[in-house]
Amino acid sequence: MSNWKAGVLLFGPLALLLIGVFLVPVLLLAPTSFHEYAPGVGIVANSWTLENYARIVTDDYYREVVWRTLYLGLGVTVSCLLLGYPVAYLIVRGPARLRLPLTLLVIFPLMLNLVVRSFGWIALLSNRGLVNNFLIQTGLIGAPLKLMFNLTGLMIGMTHIYLPFMVLMLVAALQNVPRDVEAAAATLGSSRSHVFTSVTLPLTAPGIISGSILVFVLTISALVTPRMLGGPTYKVMATLIYDEYMQLLDWPSGSALSFSLTVIAIAIIWASSRITKRWAGMA
Amino acid sequence: MKITTRIAKATALAGAMLLPAAASAEELVVGAFGGSFAENAKACYVEPFEKATGATVTLKLANSSQHAAAVRATAGESDMDVIFMDDAFAAQLKNEGLTEKLDRSKLTHADEIVPDAWGADDAYVVAMLSATTIVYNPQTVTTPPTSWKDLFDPKYAGRVTIGDISGTTGWQFLMAVNKMEGGSLDDITPGLKAIKPLAENSVVLYTQADQVVSLFERGEVDIAVWYPDRAGVAAQKGLPVAVAYPQEGAVAIKPSVVMPKGTQRSDLALKFIDQVLSAESQKCFSEAAFIGSVNKDVKLSDEVSKIVPTDEVVKKLLFLDPNTMSQKLPEWTRQWQREVAR
Repeated sequence: MSNWKAGVLLFGPLALLLIGVFLVPVLLLAPTSFHEYAPGVGIVANSWTLENYARIVTDDYYREVVWRTLYLGLGVTVSCLLLGYPVAYLIVRGPARLRLPLTLLVIFPLMLNLVVRSFGWIALLSNRGLVNNFLIQTGLIGAPLKLMFNLTGLMIGMTHIYLPFMVLMLVAALQNVPRDVEAAAATLGSSRSHVFTSVTLPLTAPGIISGSILVFVLTISALVTPRMLGGPTYKVMATLIYDEYMQLLDWPSGSALSFSLTVIAIAIIWASSRITKRWAGMA
Repeated sequence: MKITTRIAKATALAGAMLLPAAASAEELVVGAFGGSFAENAKACYVEPFEKATGATVTLKLANSSQHAAAVRATAGESDMDVIFMDDAFAAQLKNEGLTEKLDRSKLTHADEIVPDAWGADDAYVVAMLSATTIVYNPQTVTTPPTSWKDLFDPKYAGRVTIGDISGTTGWQFLMAVNKMEGGSLDDITPGLKAIKPLAENSVVLYTQADQVVSLFERGEVDIAVWYPDRAGVAAQKGLPVAVAYPQEGAVAIKPSVVMPKGTQRSDLALKFIDQVLSAESQKCFSEAAFIGSVNKDVKLSDEVSKIVPTDEVVKKLLFLDPNTMSQKLPEWTRQWQREVAR
């Protein structure tokens, strides 16, 4: 009984906060998403329709944006993982003198405002940006490369912005791997690469998965960076929702899209936590 | 426990003492556009108003659709008392029943205002006149453009910028081209078809008016669809830009003032609107912002008259019905997203 009480006390404040500022507002959106919207007149009271949801599936533009968002999430997650794992490995296993500077280097971008970081990328990636100017001046290319308002720009910008989250998760996971287990495998004749693939990697699986979930969910729900680097021509779900709400004033349609995004995110978190259990269980 | 009670008591007491004081100071919250608009509004509207009434004005900055969204979100209990927004959004709020009728009898300057400035049922009043037109760099474009068609000239490919449909110039230019190509309000396909190649040749579909300043500054564009007022201010600061009005007619932009439903200070709000409409404030704002005035008694300086839409230009201006616009815009935006910006 006292255990149960302690549990409630420990979890209570967070639960109240989540219910108050997340769950209730999200549920309040639910009725709106089933209303009709009459342009120029407003939300039609007492009208009920499934069209806002049907459109997300039937309209090929919305479908394209949904797939693009998921694809972007996957791309950013994979590149964060590929770039982040070696860094995390170096921080944990590398020379001790590198640990602090590397960790600071990883954390440092987090101290800058998101808008500032995105502007930095605009300065680098635009048609007359640093990257294009350098490439043109050195004669490597004739016309500027299109690095903004497309998948390339968003991938570069968002990988940079979410890399610290991945690295920090991986560092924690790698620190938890007992060196004895690796040593035991090596003593028994395993090559270094075999030790890594069959011992270290599976033991860091929880870190890999939680880092990936974090980066994926942050990416598909990001608004500021896609607005700045994607512009009006390269929309993702978050920017589309913003437009439906703030520009078209079509709140029902925006609410339906928000719900779909929430459901997708929750489904992915649920599926990945199942995968983690299996993978980590196997090791 | 005792200390907590004491703190709570002290807080309650302090609150009780502070609250009436805060409520008695007359404060007006005005929704306005950002950038130079806000600066000019402060100098031409807010300062004389504060001097005359002793009230204080707080500006809340956002664009038209954001203000409209905020008014709807607070349905009938808006935290703003007066809001500047484009006429299409003012008409939308009127249709949603979220505006207060402007009582002309309480506006001393009502008679000096051009009759066309009043919205349906006096739900809003147009506060200034600008346009969507052509702006070019006179150093690189030697013959001034005379038609919307000049923008499509192949020599400007990759040296031109037009606005995304989310901004006023975006949908207004679409309407102008659509009309030129023989389309109608029910069928904008001709306009979309004609604009698509231009959008592809455009350096960027700008979403913020100020983006265009840096495009001209860095010499990335020679010609743009933009606002004469922004161009006038920029030219005054030394940017090489000039304004040309196309022979087919530029499109009228009518930033308006509304009083959202539920304002607790409608008398003070009307006084502010009266200040906005006064010849003194109209002249001040027009000359600072290079924008047309709606007060018949205002005489503008030559420098400003060169830029703002005046008699000949106004006769040709394309006036779009705000009601129709607010009803059609969402559909057009969706078509634009799919067929032009994809």
